[in-house]
Amino acid sequence: MPKSQYVDPGKAFESGFIRFSDIPVCQYNKKLEEECKLYTKADMMRIYRDMAIIREFETMLNEVKTKSCYNGVEYNNPGPAHLSIGQEASAVGEAYCLDINDLSFGSHRSHGEILAKGLSSIEKLTDEEVYDIMKEFLGGAVLSVVEKHMKSANVKELAINFLLYGALAEIFARKTGFNRGLGGSMHAFFIPFGLMPNNAIVGASAPIALGAALYKRSNHKKGIIVSNCGDGATGRGPVLESLNFASMDQITKLWGMDGKFEDGGMPILFNVFNNHYGMGGQTRGETMGFDMVARLGAGFNPEQMHAERVNGYDPLAVIDAVSRKKQLLIEGKGPALLDVVTYRVSGHSPSDSSTYRTAEEIEAWKAADPILAFKQKLILGGIAKEEEFAQMHEEITSRMTEIMKLAINDEISPRMDLHKEPDAIASIMFSNQQVKSMDPTREPDVLMPKEECPRVKEIANKIRTAKDENGKPVSKMKMYNVCDGLFEPIIDKFYDDPTLIAYGEDNRDWGGAFGVYKKMTEAIPYHRFFNSPISESAIVGSAVGYAMCGGRAIVELMYADFIGCAGDEIFNQMAKWQAMSAGILKMPIVLRVSVGSKYGAQHSQDWTALCAHIPGLKVVFPSTPTDAKGLMTSALEGTDPVVFFESQRVYGFGEEFRKDGVPTGHFEIPFGEPDVKKEGKDVTILTIGAVLYRAMEAAKILEEKYNISAEVIDSRSIVPFNYEKVIESVKKTGKILIVGDACERNSVMRDMASNITELCFDYLDGPPVVVGSRNWITPAFELEKSFFPQASWIIDALHEKIMPLPGHVAENNFTDIEKIDRAKKGI
Amino acid sequence: MATAVIMPRQGQSVESCIITAWNKKVGDTVAVGDILFSYETDKSSFDEAATVEGTLLAIFAQEGDDVPCLQNVCVIGNAGESYAEFAPAGEEAPAPVAEEIKTETAETAPVATAEATSVQEISGAISPRARALAEKTNADLLKATPTGPSGRIIERDVQSLVDRGLTVSGAARAEYTSAVEGSGINGKVMLSDLSAPVAPAAEAAFTAPVAEYEDVKLPNIRKIIAKQMCASLNSMAQLTFNSSFDATKMLELRKSLKAGADKMGLTNITLNDMILYAVSRVLLDFKGFNAHCLGDTMRYFNTVNLGIAVDTERGLMVPTVFGAEKLSLNEIAKQSKAVITAAQSGSINPDLLSGGTFTVSNLGSLGIESFTPIINPPQTAILGVDCIQKRIKEVNGEDVIYPAMGLSLTVDHRVLDGADAARFLKAVGQALENIDLLMVK
Repeated sequence: MPKSQYVDPGKAFESGFIRFSDIPVCQYNKKLEEECKLYTKADMMRIYRDMAIIREFETMLNEVKTKSCYNGVEYNNPGPAHLSIGQEASAVGEAYCLDINDLSFGSHRSHGEILAKGLSSIEKLTDEEVYDIMKEFLGGAVLSVVEKHMKSANVKELAINFLLYGALAEIFARKTGFNRGLGGSMHAFFIPFGLMPNNAIVGASAPIALGAALYKRSNHKKGIIVSNCGDGATGRGPVLESLNFASMDQITKLWGMDGKFEDGGMPILFNVFNNHYGMGGQTRGETMGFDMVARLGAGFNPEQMHAERVNGYDPLAVIDAVSRKKQLLIEGKGPALLDVVTYRVSGHSPSDSSTYRTAEEIEAWKAADPILAFKQKLILGGIAKEEEFAQMHEEITSRMTEIMKLAINDEISPRMDLHKEPDAIASIMFSNQQVKSMDPTREPDVLMPKEECPRVKEIANKIRTAKDENGKPVSKMKMYNVCDGLFEPIIDKFYDDPTLIAYGEDNRDWGGAFGVYKKMTEAIPYHRFFNSPISESAIVGSAVGYAMCGGRAIVELMYADFIGCAGDEIFNQMAKWQAMSAGILKMPIVLRVSVGSKYGAQHSQDWTALCAHIPGLKVVFPSTPTDAKGLMTSALEGTDPVVFFESQRVYGFGEEFRKDGVPTGHFEIPFGEPDVKKEGKDVTILTIGAVLYRAMEAAKILEEKYNISAEVIDSRSIVPFNYEKVIESVKKTGKILIVGDACERNSVMRDMASNITELCFDYLDGPPVVVGSRNWITPAFELEKSFFPQASWIIDALHEKIMPLPGHVAENNFTDIEKIDRAKKGI
Repeated sequence: MATAVIMPRQGQSVESCIITAWNKKVGDTVAVGDILFSYETDKSSFDEAATVEGTLLAIFAQEGDDVPCLQNVCVIGNAGESYAEFAPAGEEAPAPVAEEIKTETAETAPVATAEATSVQEISGAISPRARALAEKTNADLLKATPTGPSGRIIERDVQSLVDRGLTVSGAARAEYTSAVEGSGINGKVMLSDLSAPVAPAAEAAFTAPVAEYEDVKLPNIRKIIAKQMCASLNSMAQLTFNSSFDATKMLELRKSLKAGADKMGLTNITLNDMILYAVSRVLLDFKGFNAHCLGDTMRYFNTVNLGIAVDTERGLMVPTVFGAEKLSLNEIAKQSKAVITAAQSGSINPDLLSGGTFTVSNLGSLGIESFTPIINPPQTAILGVDCIQKRIKEVNGEDVIYPAMGLSLTVDHRVLDGADAARFLKAVGQALENIDLLMVK
């Protein structure tokens, strides 16, 4: 909370009323004659054509799904097809208003939006621009198919074929699809036309779209963002979090910093295609209480998000509304909300037997079919004749048949061959690039030269080792600690990469809950460094959208325990989009999470295993200032999503291992390389996180009391992880304990133990033994020693499981009987 | 009420005995005095006779089992009587099993110490690393003492074998399935140490006619002897010295004793007894010979405990006559006879089979002229007694025939030198040549 805004108790208790203004509901009532002043016949016919193309495209998919045959061409498509038949006017109306700088995000039901925005972009780009885009895309892989196998009268025709073919090949999981077939029906997108990824998780696009808007806003980019979703998605937390995040006061009140930078709201339109159902649940009348989606706007800001309900069956009504909202966004008055009333005549999916609605209802909506209605309007208005439409339909059907034949031809449109190219997917799981600045053309927005940043000055005077040259501990005030190790590469990156932004709860004035960002406020402006609302989904989801647009973000969740609050955003979004885009997208995100202690069951958990389990995430967990600096530097230099674990136990620790202290200047530690913190020859202790220090204590006891020399290896990274150093150590010692603060069941430790067993079997003198926390809730601080691994546990485990130590009396039970019993009880 | 029969404890040093044979089987009727089973320690064998009558209800240990002393071995009672309560802990009672033992919880489970863990149970398991080391070093795994959890052989156990030189030659490895004492350097088990080397299968068509043979498992006592002999030769620098002395007076004494024994109430005193007597008197003047070598320490004894090598059916045994230096010739003869008889019958108290400070081994009666006795560690020397041969010596310019008795003294050259041995032999010889005077001393 900024000190500049005084919270006045006098005002806080002032009496009064909250006043709302009217929210327009289907107020559009322009006559065709009026509209004819705005649109030419060609415009009208193109609006019609685009709707008809979408209808035919989805009719084809429906035929294939339900009859395995379209227009005499047989094909079986086992993948999903969530159709939007009935919603074409909403999609085309929206896309009509958007230009190439405007980006749209959608849902699992977004074929219509893709085609509509694609067709609109083709219309708005010059022939040269369109052709260049097609030629560049995936090295011309998609273009060459349509160029070679289809006749196109001109570049625009070619581009339409390109769009339809690229989308269909993607839906049919072909290598010539827009994303090499890796995205599929629910995720198809085409960035050069401003079509951003669509999302199979309901509502998941909202925070991502928010992030794209943040990118536009913080990097002063042209264009607006449209976040499309269905009415069912408005029940989801990430959507509601995003509505709030986009509306937060600071964007207009603080980000301008008294005229230093642009002010104005978030350029985002939340567009709800309100088809009345979330799958089968009826939003209005059953699963929601808002009566109309547009009412939501009133809950988020005094402008009521400029919310409006419009007739989505009339493309001209939609265009009218969207163009007004777009103007508001351009004027800096965003965000905006539209409730576009429409209806999905087709089922949720082909397996939908419509048990939740009557045939009568469907027939009534079919009778109001937006395409038929628009045609009637144009014919009645004397704008076009029936024959023109008939000819158009004939062309569309024939084009669609031709495209379908191409897309199902295994030679022209092969699938990815994972036998011939076994690494085809593996190679795109990570982008593994080193990029100093995501936008080298711009100077970063900062408030002062880096050298003048108070924190930078403070660190310059610190001693970079835990002990001075006489072996005396350096005082806490003077000692360079883990927080400083994290701060240095972050502040450096703020000055190197103009796109870098950092946010999370209490990041700015507080300096982050644990002080990593202390005194950074003075140097970095609000629009690059701010406090987010307590909205974990929106925090991580927006970072995903920010990165998709070409920016770099470092976001923070405070406690690792809050990972669950952003589960989908971390596990399905941040992790997957690089590969789902066939490597087109980069995901330079560092997600900082902190493992606590002392604060009990919901604030003390090491959840590295959850993150390491999900393909596509890099996971590191440093616990010394040098490792914190080196790994953070690498994380920020890279282009992959990193879950950066920190431990609250060690933020204040100085450098105890590296004699020369924490390196100054740019210093990278490559991901995946564990570090031998202490050499030894009799037993290896592999640590994950802050347990390193307890392992060192155990090593000392083993040395002094039992004459056993322990080698302590700090894993530092979890994904990726290079086992070679560990194998070398086990070859030497034959014995290994894997230690960490996570609950031991299904932990990273278990995974490592299993891998080490496979890799070192012949060298082992006993099983790799895991010493983790108990499979309990974390108890109060006073009881933590019975929960988290202690030095004595490590010694006892060695004694009981690997090598009995003469004279040693174990305090902890690591016997097989105990293990079996605990497993039986699930504890 | 049924009665359990325990494994008796034969001497304080005995912890367990091996059952060698059962004379009764479950269901047999047993009378008082019937031999139930035979068992042996590493030094003696015994028969256990029934002290109650009834039916043999249960047997808890089989032939070949090593049973801790005082543990129940079998139960005698009336047919149909319950006996499950006698089953030793950990032994599965053959009858309906009593209620399942509840798993101990974390709070109450006793926490094992290193020692307890290692003896808890011997699993026969070996860590991959220990196995690899054993293969590399040819360590004799059958002699390993497991110290890993649950009786697992771990690296340090193999290293210990290697350090002690307990290895198996590459040739012997394939056929080496049960531990034997090795005859190679440092006790390495050689192919020749294995009782029945098998001809390679590939050459079957051309092999010479297979010799008929019988495989007989070594009795425990033999294994012990083998082990001790090898250990003795492995650990010392043994050197044998031969000399002889004029046994005229000994033979005269023997003759007169034989004649007057009954009259004087003396036992049958043999030449060997005289040697024991003489040795017991001389030894105290040669403390290096009446001693134990304990690595870097010598333990010199003020008393003479004479070990007597005895040939028994079961192999070599060395019972001890304690405090021989204080015993008269007659007493020495009596005691030596008693322990020799006990050793030969196999019923000797195992405590009498240790504690010697010096050993005498007499093969003279079997016509051996000289040999190289092997020292019984940690003793430092052993005196072999050879047969008597007629020899000629010059007395006053004339050749005189006299009975010469040979002595073969093996000493541990690590702690005793040749001159020491010569002096000791000379002293023993002189004592025996003047046995009559010695007895007066």
